[in-house]
Amino acid sequence: MRAIEVRGLRKGYGDFIALNGIDLDVDEGEVFALLGPNGAGKTTLIRILAEGLSYDSGEIRVFGEPLSKKTARLIGYAPQESLAYDDLTVRENLEFYANLYDVPGKRVDELIERFKLPAKKKAKELSGGFKKRLNLAVALLYDPKILVLDEPSTGLDVPSKRELWELIKEFREEGKTVLLATHYMEEAEALADRVAIMNEGKVIAVGTPEELKGLAGNESVIHVEGILRGTEAILREFRAIERENVLRVSVEDARKALPKVVEALVEGGSEIRSIRIEEPTLEDVFLKLTGRGLE
Amino acid sequence: MKARAVKGIVVKDLRETRRDRMAVFWIFVFPLMWVTLLGAIWGGSSPPVVVHVGAVYFNESAPFTASTLIGIMENVSVDGQKVFRITRYPDESAGLEAVKAGRIDVLLVFPRGFGKNVSSGLQGKVYAYFDRSDPQKYQIASGVVKGFFSEFEREMAYRKLNITLGYVEAYFPKNLSANFSPSMVRAYLVGMMDPIDLKEEAVTGERPSPIKFYVTSFIGIQFLFATMLTVSNLLFEEIEKGTLRRIAASPATAWDFLVGKMLSTFIVITASILIGVVYSKAVFKETVFPGPTGWLIIALSAVFSMSLGLAIAMGTRSMKATNALVNLISMPLLFLAAIVIPESILPRWARPIADYFPLGTALKDLRLLEIYHRPPSEVFPDVAWIAINSLLMLLIAVLLYNWAIKRLQ
Ligand SMILES: Nc1ncnc2c1ncn2[C@@H]1O[C@H](COP(=O)(O)OP(=O)(O)O)[C@@H](O)[C@H]1O
Ligand SMILES: [Mg+2]
Repeated sequence: MRAIEVRGLRKGYGDFIALNGIDLDVDEGEVFALLGPNGAGKTTLIRILAEGLSYDSGEIRVFGEPLSKKTARLIGYAPQESLAYDDLTVRENLEFYANLYDVPGKRVDELIERFKLPAKKKAKELSGGFKKRLNLAVALLYDPKILVLDEPSTGLDVPSKRELWELIKEFREEGKTVLLATHYMEEAEALADRVAIMNEGKVIAVGTPEELKGLAGNESVIHVEGILRGTEAILREFRAIERENVLRVSVEDARKALPKVVEALVEGGSEIRSIRIEEPTLEDVFLKLTGRGLE
Repeated sequence: MKARAVKGIVVKDLRETRRDRMAVFWIFVFPLMWVTLLGAIWGGSSPPVVVHVGAVYFNESAPFTASTLIGIMENVSVDGQKVFRITRYPDESAGLEAVKAGRIDVLLVFPRGFGKNVSSGLQGKVYAYFDRSDPQKYQIASGVVKGFFSEFEREMAYRKLNITLGYVEAYFPKNLSANFSPSMVRAYLVGMMDPIDLKEEAVTGERPSPIKFYVTSFIGIQFLFATMLTVSNLLFEEIEKGTLRRIAASPATAWDFLVGKMLSTFIVITASILIGVVYSKAVFKETVFPGPTGWLIIALSAVFSMSLGLAIAMGTRSMKATNALVNLISMPLLFLAAIVIPESILPRWARPIADYFPLGTALKDLRLLEIYHRPPSEVFPDVAWIAINSLLMLLIAVLLYNWAIKRLQ
């Protein structure tokens, strides 16, 4: 069964078009990732689904029914920013939302235990990881069938990120449908059964991570790390992404391109620490599709 | 309405308020500040009247002189308080200088021969120069001084009358009819001299105590304006945190949310009102503790002002604009709706504001009930008027809330 169906969804903020005709199908029980750079429209899409944000046109169905206050109960939403009131303890925060959603008080205890939350700590004393977990607990209060997570691990350190990913995998094992928005290629690859790549208010590709990587054809990627200078020439000649100390160059034939890349970097005065040839990632696919990187 | 959602909002707000040091500080400090200020400036019993009198007279050797009169004046006291403070001046010009400099309220000049004339039963002349720069002070000074002189004249007249009657009795023909007796002559002469015998009776009734008045002013400030600011700030906290969107997306309705916010505000402000009421009792020994009708009026008009505050907040959707607007509306109203001043000193054009603007009506009624102890039935029509206005304003707030929520995105 389709958990979420979106057809021709459009939404503008004034003159600015944030969603420009989105079509999307999320199957029940899968983890579905919206992958796209900041500003792609992921949060806007999610808020229409989970917060009742108004939209201009299009059709949305949740388990076959049109989106409404009734279907809202099927969707639990953990926004990117914290939902917690700083001066309230974890338990008091959960109690507040339990009252709001008319959920029995014992559900609060269950969630505190499940997410190993420090019940008596004030929200403002929580680490980033615990804040995210508290958000997840709020989203799960009324045991919704669909979980919608906006940038679930943004801002977390690596161990907290891994723990959170484990939690999300557990949700899937319980049979929940998860829709998550992220601009981390790794997050989408690690968690998602299927990924929709979004850019400038449109879905430009949908598929499993493997299928999407196939879009890169038989390309491979030259991955260079080090203190890099003289990358301008490479960025001009090849399809490449540069980030702090990392350069990824997508090429048809790595053996032919490698010498050119290295030569350009050395001439520029770079200190190369490592070079390897890799399979393309989702980010390289994004680059191929849009001509720009994800971050 | 979902009682549990409302309760959730109230409990959450109260917990947050209790842990917010600034909020707690203001809940305590506002009442202490207002009650102290209002009480100290306008409250308490008014100080006894003292008239500063300058005197210029000449030394004479007659049995009764200006000096004797001034001596009597110096000793006049009311409730154990001396009324006149006398300063003697060597001549008229020195005395007039003192009047002009505001050192004395009145200068009395007794011309040469005053004592001799009065002692021999003739008329004595006195010149009084009043400082008229301050009309109120002039009224008090001239009233007191003229009062003293007319009392003094009456006293002299009775003495003369008694002397005269002594002669009348001694030479009164004994064979006149019983209808015409010395006592009749006496009564007739008293009537001529003093045609009206005004009996002054002190009645201690309901004294509209200034402290009680200003305690009601304080209650007015708190439930009319503190609620307006508090409720809109509670709203902006939710907007800024992003939690309002969440609440709006939850099953809680606009009514649940607004009722919850109003209850939280009302509880906080009531705590603050109680602190002020008790504090006034402790410091000024007087206070007002509203009865059930009083609280009904307070609650209804608090709904009015909170709805107004929310309407402004929703309409502007800006905390700065809201605070500015609330102040802009409330500052003049504190006066024009007779909240911190008595209605009697309002200019005529402002009276309708005090009478019909629901918050003005509320304060007027609160005072009728709690200061003048009028029966509640007397204010019921007003209560209905306040209730209608409050409901209307609440409706506007709910409509604006639903309108604003869509634009918050
Ligand atoms: N409330 C808003 N008013 C105006 N523009 C907005 C608003 N929210 C988002 N946008 C714009 O819409 C675009 C999509 O934003 P968003 O959905 O947050 O993207 P993402 O979550 O993919 O980063 C961005 O360009 C953003 O600036
Ligand atoms: Mg986003």
